[in-house]
Amino acid sequence: MSAESFPPESPDLRPAERFARNVEHPAALETRIWVDSAAFRDAVGEIREAGARFITIFVAETPELALTAVFAWRGEIVLLQVAASADGTIAYQEIGNWWPAVAWPEREMIERDLRVDSGRGAPEHPLTKPDPDLVQRALSGLDTFTIPYGPVRSGVFEAIQFQIETGGEDVAQLQTRPFFKHRGIEARFGGMPPELGIHVAERVAGIASCAYATAFSQAVERALGVEPPRRAQRWRVVHCELERMACHLDVIAKEAETTALSVGQARFQILKERVQRLLARLTGSRFGRGAILPGGVRDEGGLTPDQLREELEDIERDLQRDRRLFLATSSMTDRLIGAGRLPRATVEEYCAVGPLARGSGISTDARHARPYGDYQRLGLQVIVQNGGDAMARINVRFGELLESLRLLRRALEWLRRSTGKESGGLRSPLPRRESGTACGWAEAPQGELLFWVELRDGLVHRAHVASPSLRNWALFDRAFPKDVLTDFAFIEHSFGLTPAGADR
Amino acid sequence: MLEWIYRGLSKRTVTTRYPHRPEPAPAGFHGRVDVAVDAVADSKIAQLCPTGAIAVNRDGRASLDRGRCILCGECVRAEPHVFKFRAGYETAERSAAALVVGSKADDTPHEEPRKALGQRAAMLRRSVHVRHIDCGSDGSEEWEIQALWNPYYDIQRLGFYLTDAPRHADVLLVTGPVTPPMHAPLQRTWQVMPEPKALIAVGTDACGGGLHGWGGVDQILPVDVYVPGSPPAPIAIMDGLLTAVGLLNRGGTA
Repeated sequence: MSAESFPPESPDLRPAERFARNVEHPAALETRIWVDSAAFRDAVGEIREAGARFITIFVAETPELALTAVFAWRGEIVLLQVAASADGTIAYQEIGNWWPAVAWPEREMIERDLRVDSGRGAPEHPLTKPDPDLVQRALSGLDTFTIPYGPVRSGVFEAIQFQIETGGEDVAQLQTRPFFKHRGIEARFGGMPPELGIHVAERVAGIASCAYATAFSQAVERALGVEPPRRAQRWRVVHCELERMACHLDVIAKEAETTALSVGQARFQILKERVQRLLARLTGSRFGRGAILPGGVRDEGGLTPDQLREELEDIERDLQRDRRLFLATSSMTDRLIGAGRLPRATVEEYCAVGPLARGSGISTDARHARPYGDYQRLGLQVIVQNGGDAMARINVRFGELLESLRLLRRALEWLRRSTGKESGGLRSPLPRRESGTACGWAEAPQGELLFWVELRDGLVHRAHVASPSLRNWALFDRAFPKDVLTDFAFIEHSFGLTPAGADR
Repeated sequence: MLEWIYRGLSKRTVTTRYPHRPEPAPAGFHGRVDVAVDAVADSKIAQLCPTGAIAVNRDGRASLDRGRCILCGECVRAEPHVFKFRAGYETAERSAAALVVGSKADDTPHEEPRKALGQRAAMLRRSVHVRHIDCGSDGSEEWEIQALWNPYYDIQRLGFYLTDAPRHADVLLVTGPVTPPMHAPLQRTWQVMPEPKALIAVGTDACGGGLHGWGGVDQILPVDVYVPGSPPAPIAIMDGLLTAVGLLNRGGTA
């Protein structure tokens, strides 16, 4: 589809809608466009031209078997769906070969589901069955060599493999290999009531348990038409922002560790541990597990809003001083400035999200673009930096730490003044034995996260997770334009991703 | 740089004295689930558990396999007179059988006394090298292992060092239920470690599979110490490391 043909005549029409056989609006901010498999490629092209951001592609029963591609377009979620043919298969033309953002999710879908045929045939080296001993050289020559790094990493890191090709110092070529950790966790949801499914959701990516729990709960709530009480929504903000702080502090501590800035590392580790201990006192878990559940939150928690606010004031005072010192330490910032520069156009091509995209000048944040829960009322200042390098990504995180503290102050002030009774308790009951399908999203510390959940007779029939880590990791191969081997760790930490979320 | 040094020195010491002094967990912390031996449980509770960690025998006596328990608390809320959250950190066990609690009366503390663990640290001559391998964790176990080297836990004071090379390692920490692509790397890492060596399964996923049906690390390699928890707290992992050191001092794996 060429650019001139868009926008179409009627301004009310969404991109790709003119290909539609059928358009549905199952929940707020969610549109489903059903197209024929022959028109799928053109429809995706039109959606891309219209500036939509790709989120995920998967196969599910909705309730008939269908291929679904999910996009974010102008503050709403657009699902492009293709129904299976009569013999139960879906044949369509590959899109990942001309839209890099789609490549990994599409390959994962095709390799895992034999009912889908994109016309390319089986790959020689499946993405989803990584071989730690495989060496795939792109460069040749006497003076180049290849470093397979991972899946057993140095230090305590999650399993992922990088194949680095170098002529000695420059990173000439890099290949990221995920899926060493694929646990098949999406399949674990099948047949569980949502109240139990939440425990699985919390364990998709353990360091972002609260965000995953929020996204899963919101998908269930939207599918069943339930609105959690306002007080519960506000407690969720508290859990999620504390978690975001811990994740961002972890990234900054790791950057300090990589420069051997020991005191700086210790200071940020102390701050992170203090946030985790706050979560432990509040929820009983250092990762906030068990606090959020479909319909609301479990309880008021072990800390009063006043206690929390006091502790956070202390943390903020220390954070401000450590931040100033960090940014004034030239041995630290020299390693970050200019490292792993990602131009805005590249990031857009890969549809990256989170602090990574915001560090390259793209203002994308699910809390702001499609505000969910209490973020609709709290208001959020999206932190954007234009540098595109590791320094910009760290600056985004510093800004977001302070923004999280501001949100927490506001949320806690409200929680302190109101009582559970006047705001409708902490939990809305879920209707029993109902069916429904919906998307739920949240801004995890790593970026936008989307859950697609189908409920049948009150049980989760199928869940699909679009994790920010998988989408952002595809961009890692492109993050070494002028960088050398010793920049590797700085750039990796500045991405701040988790393989557990990517591999699922 | 000098400013950082002043900044570091101006703050009080936050490091725990564990194991020489007790380290109490915060009230309400979900450290482990205990089972009341004399209480009778509804047999339906076994179906409620999302990981199948609970069994109820014909007399209504419940038992719980901590190697599968992900601390979700469903049983605690359904049968509060039988199952209770305990804030304790000491969950490390020497065998998979010891992870099953409640079937028999276990009023004797099954964890070794803290003092004995502290003495072990002295016997190490302050040099135990630890290697970690992730075999499919959810990522939180890595955070808790990394935390051992932060100023709060500072496990280096007990003589534990992280090493990058498995050939230099005395202890291997394994997280995750061992996904198929990680079989070979796990085997290889363990094979090149010199004797005496010890293997610690960290987290419920590694101990017994947790949410996943693979059954844990001991399906592939002999596990010396199990540290259940989803994820286990840093003190729990420290406890597991000190337990494993006892094995190293005897000059071989169990």
